[in-house]
Amino acid sequence: MTLAGFAAKNAFRNKRRTTLTVLSIAVSLLLLTLLMVVWRAFYIDQGTPSDARRLVTRNRVSLTFLLPAFYEQKIRALPGVVAVAPSNWFGGIYKDNKPENFFGQFGTNPADLLKVYPDFKIPPEQAAAWVKDRAGCIVDSRLAAAHHWNVGDHLFIKGSIFPVTLDLTVDGIFVSPVAFQSIYFNQEYVNQALPFMANLDDTFIVLTASPRDATRVADAIDAMFRDSPQPTRTETAKSFTLDFINMLGNIKAFMLAIASAVVFAILLVSANTMAMSVRERIREIAVLKTLGFPKNSILALLIGEAVTVTLLGGLIGVFLASLLLFGAAHGPAGQMLGNLRVTPGVFSLALVAAALVGILSGLLPSWRAASQPVVQGLRHVG
Amino acid sequence: MSQSQPPIVSARHVSKIFRRDNFEVKALHDVSLDIPAGEFLALMGPSGSGKTTLLNMIAAIDRPTSGELTVMGERILELSDRQAARWRNEKIGYVFQTFNLIPVLTAAENVELPLLLTRLSKRERREHVAIALRLVGLADRMEHLPKQLSGGQEQRVAIARALVTDPAIILADEPTGDLDSQSATEVLEILARLNREHGKTIIMVTHDPHAASYARTTLHLEKGELLPAAAAAKP
Repeated sequence: MTLAGFAAKNAFRNKRRTTLTVLSIAVSLLLLTLLMVVWRAFYIDQGTPSDARRLVTRNRVSLTFLLPAFYEQKIRALPGVVAVAPSNWFGGIYKDNKPENFFGQFGTNPADLLKVYPDFKIPPEQAAAWVKDRAGCIVDSRLAAAHHWNVGDHLFIKGSIFPVTLDLTVDGIFVSPVAFQSIYFNQEYVNQALPFMANLDDTFIVLTASPRDATRVADAIDAMFRDSPQPTRTETAKSFTLDFINMLGNIKAFMLAIASAVVFAILLVSANTMAMSVRERIREIAVLKTLGFPKNSILALLIGEAVTVTLLGGLIGVFLASLLLFGAAHGPAGQMLGNLRVTPGVFSLALVAAALVGILSGLLPSWRAASQPVVQGLRHVG
Repeated sequence: MSQSQPPIVSARHVSKIFRRDNFEVKALHDVSLDIPAGEFLALMGPSGSGKTTLLNMIAAIDRPTSGELTVMGERILELSDRQAARWRNEKIGYVFQTFNLIPVLTAAENVELPLLLTRLSKRERREHVAIALRLVGLADRMEHLPKQLSGGQEQRVAIARALVTDPAIILADEPTGDLDSQSATEVLEILARLNREHGKTIIMVTHDPHAASYARTTLHLEKGELLPAAAAAKP
């Protein structure tokens, strides 16, 4: 037997109480892990190396205001710019309005899009076919798998913003380092049906020569159009996504508030369990001290017991979170979850949080018990 | 006591006063005694006479309010809590009336507990535990949990736990108080054997004359004072 083994045995002394505590902590850690996964995806994940080189230019006022199509040529002429591609949100309906049938549909210039996304893996013959096909599209491999699409299939997408229904041929399936959950088609298709769209674009994706050029190029683009009727806002693709998310409100503060509430709740649950557990064993702790256990060993034993319980709850919570994300990613609306997964970093952080909760919750009752005079403890009737 | 060998326990004018709210309770008053090494001493007296208080002070789990108490050359008042814990682990074995075994640990694990604080290897600890349990006749109950043992067996495990570190002194606080007469006899015989064959100094608190009859010397306490041998002998 070891002191750690002794602590573990004590942790499971009252099986029903420990099981309920572990489950409470597991549910809380499940929520905390999911929050951390979303936080990582929103605010920490830097994406692929070429993501750092990629910029998005949009109308400074709002995404709903379009930009003149000629901006593309002006941006392309700036030093440090390697490629520019328009990206226009189509927002059509595939089959019906069910979440599993929702995905991004973007009109673009095929040849330019393949240049701004060099990290898309697509067979050359498929890429060449798409560049030539005005009614063609390429689809993200995960999306294709979810919908069982193959090259040559036809996708009918009914416009909800634009009065046009697209009949697109799947010319290629691309694999991207991060889930895109989108299809790209030739904007010419829409422009021919709706000629007024030929002179307008939603956004431009800009690929710079190196990550170091990104800030300079972004500033140069915005400076170029500052005094025009349609000024621009250029930012990294990551910032663009975050801006989009922040339209919903202060997501960061909201997530922090939920995470804090979750941690506080598990702290209370764990502290309550530890307080009860220690109170029941005051006499036993005095016996250990009589046998020669010093205060530090008693503290280590009791806190070790609390950490055992919270770590077990944490492990179950993280496992459940992984299972949930895996299940959801393979479910009907899986393509909407993108890159949400429990990374080793999130896994470690969740367990560190669980261990810290264990230490904090065990500290006060353990300290009190360990500090109690032996004689007083031996007289305790509990 | 021989002139050459100092007493294993020496108390000089030891008093203990408990303060509860505004009241003072004199648990021990001016107790002086010498206990030679290898003694089997019974401390007798009615409830509240200070027997357990004296025993606890010898074990350094309680401190005298005044006076001087030396156990195995250590002045108890001068030990810090940490030093006292270490000293107790090495030098003292303690047997409680209510056994006080840890319910989630097997007999062997309960006996092993004091050894977790030593530098012994796992194998060495196992050997010590096996010897201690064999000494109390429970070699075949090593993997039993306390709830699977009788009261007498539990107390024998507690004795094994007290002697596993090979202490010089075993302190027993009413070790037969919770036992039937047959189990009590078994426990007392083990204590007597440890004293006789292994030279352990046994100091046993009891109010049972039958238990005290196993001791070589009996001292009586009453209202915190040690009675003279003659007074103690009175019916």
